[in-house]
Amino acid sequence: MEVLHVITPLFVSLIVGGTFVGIVFGAIPGMTATMAVAVCLPLTYSLGLENGLALLLGLYVGGISGGLVPAILLGIPGTPSSITTCFDGYPMCQRGDGEKALRIGIISSLVGGLISLAVLYFFAPTLADFAIQFSYVEKFLIILFALTVMAALSSDMLIGIFSGFLGLLVSLIGTYGIESGGNGEIRLIPPGLEYWLESGFALLPVLIGLFGLAAILEEAEIGVPESQSARNVRLGAGTGFSLSVFRGQIGNLIRSSGIGTFVGILPGVGGSAASILSYTATKALSSHPETFGKGEPAGVIASESGNNGLTGGALVPLMSLGIPGDSTTALLIGAFTLQGIQVGPLFIGQNPVTWDAIIVAMLIANLAMFAMMYFAIRYIARVVSVPKPILFPIILMMCVIGAYTINYGIMFDVWSLLIFGLFGWLAQKLRLEIAPFIIGFILGPSAEIYFVKSLESFGDLTIFFTKSWIAVVLWILIAASVAGSVLLARKTRRAREGR
Amino acid sequence: MGDLTHVTVNFETSHLIFPTLIAIVLVILGLAILITNRRQIAGAGPYWRGVLDRMDKVRFLGTIALTVIYFMLMVPVGDTWPNTGLGFLICSIPYVFLSGVLFLRHRAPRDLLPVAISALVAPTLVWWLFTDLFALTLP
Repeated sequence: MEVLHVITPLFVSLIVGGTFVGIVFGAIPGMTATMAVAVCLPLTYSLGLENGLALLLGLYVGGISGGLVPAILLGIPGTPSSITTCFDGYPMCQRGDGEKALRIGIISSLVGGLISLAVLYFFAPTLADFAIQFSYVEKFLIILFALTVMAALSSDMLIGIFSGFLGLLVSLIGTYGIESGGNGEIRLIPPGLEYWLESGFALLPVLIGLFGLAAILEEAEIGVPESQSARNVRLGAGTGFSLSVFRGQIGNLIRSSGIGTFVGILPGVGGSAASILSYTATKALSSHPETFGKGEPAGVIASESGNNGLTGGALVPLMSLGIPGDSTTALLIGAFTLQGIQVGPLFIGQNPVTWDAIIVAMLIANLAMFAMMYFAIRYIARVVSVPKPILFPIILMMCVIGAYTINYGIMFDVWSLLIFGLFGWLAQKLRLEIAPFIIGFILGPSAEIYFVKSLESFGDLTIFFTKSWIAVVLWILIAASVAGSVLLARKTRRAREGR
Repeated sequence: MGDLTHVTVNFETSHLIFPTLIAIVLVILGLAILITNRRQIAGAGPYWRGVLDRMDKVRFLGTIALTVIYFMLMVPVGDTWPNTGLGFLICSIPYVFLSGVLFLRHRAPRDLLPVAISALVAPTLVWWLFTDLFALTLP
């Protein structure tokens, strides 16, 4: 039980503090769990791996959970993953059942978080053990699969896959590293920038720019709408909350948590897909689907257990394959990189204490989230009225610190933050998908090594199809995700034309 | 078939293989997007005019301008007192204050006070935390 040495008062305080800050970020529309992790990453430089992860996992769980507060009270999703919580939570609040809806959401979040944590604990090591036998060929195909799955679930598959490949290309800027078997030559660097871009763009400024600065630019573009005044937030006396509301909803809870976890495991697919799929499934299976969208508690249960199910699920591919499950877990890679640790199939076996610490941190974060939100919901509800003119400048300043300190004081990293902040804003206007871009950017250098080294070793392109049965299965999955997406797009187009 | 799929990798030029491949895929995908989204692309002019019309230009461009000035000043100011992180602190206080004022909807003295307090407290706290406690380099 070496993990007991890690669980210090500081470790627990960081989780609880992280969860609290995460809830605040989640509860303020326009700020997300991803932003919370991005802004607080520099704080982990001096904390060590386990303590740093404790803070970030608290932020992650809190951030995903906090989104339900404005979704229910204001009808505005605090984070994209709580979009379906608005559908029934807000009507419940309007009829005076705000507190009841919040409590239903909080309990569902806890159940979703715990079920996905159990899946993470039992499934990630098994997947990692299996993935250890992967050669470069299979590893390359896994990355290709991750990109096609993300693209398949994008609103436009072509744009989704384009975004992923664009991320790949941007990640290749700089030197083909000798340390990973490359020839040490530079490529793709615009003339005059060789000095600055010799090592390419650093990961953290890119992430902080895309998820911190870009989000604030989007808010500035619409004039930084004022937060709701605390007076406008009414919880309502309503019918009161009792656990009996969950009677007959156990199946919903388990199914939605399961869907959320599964979506989390799919590489790069975010929380909104988790809650939308859980909500749609629950509505489709309901004996009274017409009540959905009008204040049906089952809708809140499905949405919130689904999006919190994501949290453990998204860590599965990260811990077992080194592939982030969503954009927030992509940032966690940053925390590992800071500590000089590479996540991949060998991680759990080689770092059992860190692995146990991650599980314990997730467990404490879920319990802390529940305790804080359930018993202090009336105070948490006021968070939605925190003034943005005070918060946003501080966030901008924290973004600068994160970018500047990552390589111990390189100003170019701060400019990269601005470049990618502007790019993130522009990408949203051009309908480019940021999640595939980021995953492409993170996995690009590995994908290159796996691809080129496979060709160097085998000298034949057919090796990508004939190396092993796993390669064949991965190609089938890649083809299925593309075909599924094409069929879905065609169906959607026909439905639109039919209307 | 064997000849068609056979590839010999020249180590000297191996740094160009993957970028070239990705660039080719991007061009193909770009063309496919141009064809499938030709209607939206044809309507790009009105779309961008709409974006610009709806944009709160003062706050959007003001944020960018303040940020650029902030980044530009930080190092020269910091070089006056090397290795103290004072460049960060001295530039952050006005930056946090001015961007806070920019984001405010009502700018009566009563509204400015909390922004001013946060502009003094937050950068000072962060500066102390990172330079003294974490011993990290700031400009």
